Amino acid sequence: MSNVIRFQFRKGPEVQFLSHLDVVRTMERAVRRAGLPMAYSEGFTPRPIMSYSYALSVGLLSEAEYGDFALTEELDPEEFVKIYNQHLPKGFEVLRAQRLPDHAPTLQAQINAASWRVSLPKVSADAIKERWQWLQEVDSFVVRRETKKGSRDVDVRHFLFSVGAIVQSPTGVVFDCLAGLGNEANLRMEELGQLLCFAHLEATITRMGQFKKVGNLYVPPLEDRG
Amino acid sequence: MDKRLVPLLPLVTKPARYTNHELNAQHKNWSEVAVKVALAFPDIYDVGMGHLGFKILYALINGRHDALAERVYAPWVDMQELMEEHGIPLTALESGSTLTKFDLVGFTLQHELSFTNILKMLDLAGIRRRSTERDEMLPLIMAGGPAAFNAEPVADFLDFVVLGEGEEVMHEILDVVKDGKAQGLTKDQLLTELSRLEGIYVPKWYKPIYGVDGRFEALESQVPNAATQIQKRVVRDFNRLPYPEEFVVPYVEVVHDRVMGEIMRGCTRGCRFCQAGMIYRPVREREPRVLKEQIARLVESTGYEEISLSSLSSGDYGQIGPLVRDLIVHYQDCGISVSLPSLRLDSFGIELAQEIQKARKTGLTFAPEAGTQRLRNVINKNVSDDDLKDVVQSAFAAGWSRIKLYFMIGLPTETEEDLEGIVELAHKVLEWGKEFRSARRRPEVSISVASFVPKPHTPFQWMAQESMEILRSKQRFLQDRLRHPAIHFSYPRVEESFLEAVFARGDRRLAAVLERAVDLGCQFDSWTDSFRFDLWEQAFGDAGIDPQDYAGRTRDIGEALPWTHLSAGIDYDFLQREWELAQKGVPTPDCRWDECSRCGVCPSLRVANAIVKEKNVE
Repeated sequence: MSNVIRFQFRKGPEVQFLSHLDVVRTMERAVRRAGLPMAYSEGFTPRPIMSYSYALSVGLLSEAEYGDFALTEELDPEEFVKIYNQHLPKGFEVLRAQRLPDHAPTLQAQINAASWRVSLPKVSADAIKERWQWLQEVDSFVVRRETKKGSRDVDVRHFLFSVGAIVQSPTGVVFDCLAGLGNEANLRMEELGQLLCFAHLEATITRMGQFKKVGNLYVPPLEDRG
Repeated sequence: MDKRLVPLLPLVTKPARYTNHELNAQHKNWSEVAVKVALAFPDIYDVGMGHLGFKILYALINGRHDALAERVYAPWVDMQELMEEHGIPLTALESGSTLTKFDLVGFTLQHELSFTNILKMLDLAGIRRRSTERDEMLPLIMAGGPAAFNAEPVADFLDFVVLGEGEEVMHEILDVVKDGKAQGLTKDQLLTELSRLEGIYVPKWYKPIYGVDGRFEALESQVPNAATQIQKRVVRDFNRLPYPEEFVVPYVEVVHDRVMGEIMRGCTRGCRFCQAGMIYRPVREREPRVLKEQIARLVESTGYEEISLSSLSSGDYGQIGPLVRDLIVHYQDCGISVSLPSLRLDSFGIELAQEIQKARKTGLTFAPEAGTQRLRNVINKNVSDDDLKDVVQSAFAAGWSRIKLYFMIGLPTETEEDLEGIVELAHKVLEWGKEFRSARRRPEVSISVASFVPKPHTPFQWMAQESMEILRSKQRFLQDRLRHPAIHFSYPRVEESFLEAVFARGDRRLAAVLERAVDLGCQFDSWTDSFRFDLWEQAFGDAGIDPQDYAGRTRDIGEALPWTHLSAGIDYDFLQREWELAQKGVPTPDCRWDECSRCGVCPSLRVANAIVKEKNVE
């Protein structure tokens, strides 16, 4: 086993509007406060060696963010969770951790899909259901995607894999969905909004899981225990 | 945070500016404390969070059982518009309470170009601008900070002003307000009690008298026993002062986002243009032992990756070398770096900088301020060409390839020769760098030229600022002569320096201009993209005020100045002597090492320079 600890953490409403860089900085500072035996990079400005799964957009919540920390010594994952949680600011919580085997693939190599929970005010379940039904019969859905290099058209229809039960609640609608994440079949939340016809800025969106999609199998980057 | 802001957050830039829950933020129970203070910074969160003074006050107030302090920043324009659209007032970060629920709202006056933001924040909070228009309800609006030494342009908006260092007087203010509230004192009774404290100025008790030419002639007190002069507060035992054990750690990137150790207060170099060098006297150094403890506590409570040592001139701190070396050795293993923002221009400084910046040798900054020795003597910047050569060569030798030099134009007695001097220095730096040139390294020089702004309480407080046309032509003069692939030339806009000059030496007639400017949409004037000089011109016109009379006019030595009742302890005879010596080009030595220059601070405030002796170093 290596001295790399992989952990899953929550990004709650208190820290919902942090950017990915803000999160990374916060994690680093918490590492220092906790006095974790972090491995530092070589060079003039040593930085703790840590990596994360795909960046979560500003404004989204998550139950399943992932990080890999390289340590200089063996640390019991349970102990890690306990110590680190004591030093993380409100809104962050480490849910579980495991030591990685030697030469384990990076987080990003083990993730290409995510599950999302979307909560929408002022929308009826039927509207979403109808839209999803319609969408399932459509083979292509092209959106204009703005990137740093300009804009281009992308067909995102098949980046949305599936939509689960659409539940009407007193305040609106809640549903889960599975979509592509990462460098290839990435679905942005504003594009999910376009696909299912809702205003994404009014929605509360939570990343519930990140996976490697193998056929119809979704494998999380941390082993499930029981 | 105010919950009503939540739906707006996805719609604004950097929403995390407006949320709270930062590490070490203090959320105290409102029902358990007697006095509630809002520390209001007249700029956005990203700027205000770097302000050490507010960190000190925040810790000090929240350290008391009977008081609480919360933070308030100016929302950026996008958020302001949404708040106005939805009828949401300005609130404090921690509890989301509107400012009207506090007992005290304290603004810091860091510079003149933030004055409009104060009015804008009062507007957003639903608080009447002028103190005389506000009713009996608290809060009291107070202000402090360097620009409080001429608070006159904003005096009509403030209930009281605090001059000088806040650590002691803040406690006294809290006590007075607490007792006053318990006794049910009226606002005026409360102000009477507050004005008994040293360093407190209640503007509405004074009325300015203007002459037939419309110029300021005198300040007449409106109540019996009003002090004719307010003396600044100064802390005598700097080592025994409390220092924050925690800083609030922001999530978004802010300025000065690091552990700050305050190594020293005051500077006695006596640069004649420098207001900070006059108003923060005397010099007091903090003992290395005390500093190291304070820094260690902050490192532990924040997890910051950088420590900076803060003061007006860190290279002057007697034990700077040992202190920096100790800190580097102590913290390098945990990836924490040390930085030193204000280094002296000598080869010792280079040695230190070399130790600090083992890594990125990107740029090193020096401030000769003027292009010739003659002019440097005038402004009392005691740096010679030889010093500069020394330091630049050792910097290049030590591995730096980019030297940044700060200058000012429009200084008193400046001639074309002095401007040529700037050009020559720029080229000399490249010349000195030649022998260090290699395939990978090409020496470069950045020249940054600011327009001089005469400030109150300095030897140059009487002189006219040069006109914008002349300053612009000087900028062009330099621009034409600094065209070189290895020279980068930059200069702030003269309009900003002009406005700064107007308000720096302004009087209460400018209150109407400020109000008009804010009504026209002026705010964030120190942000180049938001600065609207056209609107300012309109505001001056509408208020019937000629800004030239403030910025562009040399005052007679005998002329009444609107700020003389606000004392930093500096003797006006000293300023006058310095002004005369300046015109003769005679420098004045630094009283830290040399004889006393009789500035008047020590006798009038019963203080003295306090320099750490070598035996105190471990």
